Amino acid sequence: MQLRKTSKSYEKTLDRYGWLFISIAVILLIVFMFYPIVYSLILSTMSSKGIVQKFVGFGNYTRLVKDEMFLKALKNTFAFLIIQVPIMLLLALVLAAILNDKTIKFRGLFRTGIFLPAVTSLVAYTILFKMMFSADGFINAGLMRLNIIKQPIPWLMDPFWAKVTVIIAMTWRWTGYNMVFYLSGLQSVPDELYEAAEIDGASKIQQFFHITIPMLKPIIVFTTIMSTIGTLQLFDEPMNLSQGGVTGATTGPGNSLLTLSVYIYNLCFKYMPNFGYAATIAYVIVFIVAILTFIQFKVAGDKE
Amino acid sequence: MNEAKARYTKDNPKVEIEIVDMAKADLEQKLHTMLASGVKDGLPDIVLIEDYNAQKYLKSYPGAFADLTGKIDHSKFANYKVGLMTVNGKVYGVPFDSGVSGFFYRKDLLEQAGYKPEDLNNITWDKFIEIGKNVKKATGKAMLGFGLDDGGLMRIMLQSAGQWYFDKNGNVNIANNEALKEAVKTYKAIVDADIIKKTSGWNEWVAAFNKGDTASVVTGVWIIGSIKAEATQSGKWAVAPTPRLNVSGSVNASNLGGSSWYVLEGTKGKDIAIDFLNKIYASDNDFYQKILVERGAMGSYLPAATGDAYSKEDEFFGGQKVFTDLSNWMKNIPSVDFGLYTYEADAAIMANMPDVYSGKITVEDALKKAEEQLKNQIGK
Repeated sequence: MQLRKTSKSYEKTLDRYGWLFISIAVILLIVFMFYPIVYSLILSTMSSKGIVQKFVGFGNYTRLVKDEMFLKALKNTFAFLIIQVPIMLLLALVLAAILNDKTIKFRGLFRTGIFLPAVTSLVAYTILFKMMFSADGFINAGLMRLNIIKQPIPWLMDPFWAKVTVIIAMTWRWTGYNMVFYLSGLQSVPDELYEAAEIDGASKIQQFFHITIPMLKPIIVFTTIMSTIGTLQLFDEPMNLSQGGVTGATTGPGNSLLTLSVYIYNLCFKYMPNFGYAATIAYVIVFIVAILTFIQFKVAGDKE
Repeated sequence: MNEAKARYTKDNPKVEIEIVDMAKADLEQKLHTMLASGVKDGLPDIVLIEDYNAQKYLKSYPGAFADLTGKIDHSKFANYKVGLMTVNGKVYGVPFDSGVSGFFYRKDLLEQAGYKPEDLNNITWDKFIEIGKNVKKATGKAMLGFGLDDGGLMRIMLQSAGQWYFDKNGNVNIANNEALKEAVKTYKAIVDADIIKKTSGWNEWVAAFNKGDTASVVTGVWIIGSIKAEATQSGKWAVAPTPRLNVSGSVNASNLGGSSWYVLEGTKGKDIAIDFLNKIYASDNDFYQKILVERGAMGSYLPAATGDAYSKEDEFFGGQKVFTDLSNWMKNIPSVDFGLYTYEADAAIMANMPDVYSGKITVEDALKKAEEQLKNQIGK
């Protein structure tokens, strides 16, 4: 390389070609990423009725604090986040640890079976769940036949049970997806560690807590962040599981399934179209995601 | 609409009309994004908008819809329909289907409980609940399929009293609204009386009466298509006037839903679009007869009510002249201003209903809470 000194102009040409090649990507990025980000920030300072806009500065942000519908959506979203994400991730981790055991028969079959829900369409599976969990649906009928319950459970008609249904549905849909991450992570954990532990007399449970979890930490952090973001943007499940979906009066009984994303949708398309206020809430989600991700990195204690 | 197209293109062979069917939510999504962006290319010349949303569109997108005052004879349409498409004295739409409501019931089941059709004329909701209890005792069937968080019935009750969630000036009118208070109390009474089959969503609700699990349904005329879908129940149904609320001014006529045509301003086909609506939807009596028979779509074009199809006896309803009755009730529907925030108000009230059902809060407190919530939400 040192033998052939490249001339300045040649480098310049190379540069120009370089810019040319990335220009398409950059322009697309600017038009479809940066412009909307900046524009929605500007939009969040406006209050609008359709195209009738007026500048309110931080008005939308102060309005949030008093808007009970927003607070309800925030509460619901966090309820899903705090309850559903840990259950799902723990379950995924346990399943991954079990299915990583080479002595288990039909390992591939189980792995595929548990991952399969992740390839179904969000709308299709929620509609199936809605049918299964309806008052005289499959789940109630089954539980009553088994004499586990006497009265049908009002799955989608009671604020509490509606949340439970969504949590069950989401866990079914996403556990396998996260399990695959853990499984792939486990492939890089050397078997010698487990062998050594076994020789030292560590039980399976001790191995799980002292080898599996520490070794998978980066992946656990990754899945936690992804699930957090996913839950904060939760939309399809509550929308499709609630009565009437888009056209229903409330999202779930007593707005128990109203999430931030659903509220944004409602503000744009169902209620008086206030795109400014909707943009404000979108930014609130961004802030929350940023803060939570920061905390998760800190708690995980990764220096890098 | 296909029928209207065929009729119009017969006289105007040069005009091409393309009809696009869309689900309500999809259409609204598209309309809002298009209108907000100001791009007119993707927009149709004519659009069908639900009446509850009319004012919202007209006021959110000033200049987007064509002023039809004087171009269409609005006096030929049901009065309440014209009111909801008027902004600052200008009328922007052509009224289309009516949501005139009725008390559709299973004659056979109510007879078992000892009720004759004349007992069901012009009743109150209290009487309705009493009937429901007796029906349940006699037949074991629920009286109504009922979505606990569905506000449709409440809107029927409200409009029957000439009231809405807002007063004439568009201010929130919830906490001190006697009709609304009575409506919420009636909701609770219906639930407490244990005369309902709880349903979630449209499909379950329709299935409840199609399967014969419920003895009646109180809703808009557009339900007839779904009722008739179950052919084995032919001859067993009948319709009576909508029950009224126990407040002064409430009548036995109301409305749920319904929609109207609007022409978009600034599109190429605007003038043709207006002409099309005028020739068919605002003049063609035969057209309304035909769509009634074939589609069960009941227009709010008043001269149509005297046509053959409207005065025909309907075998499915045991020979009752269903549409004559409904047309008569349609004339009595109190006109109310739906305002801009019907769905926000609906949500605010229904969000508090679970606590009302369980008795955790009183009706008065629930309405106070809903009013507070709504005011904060819409920023008033």
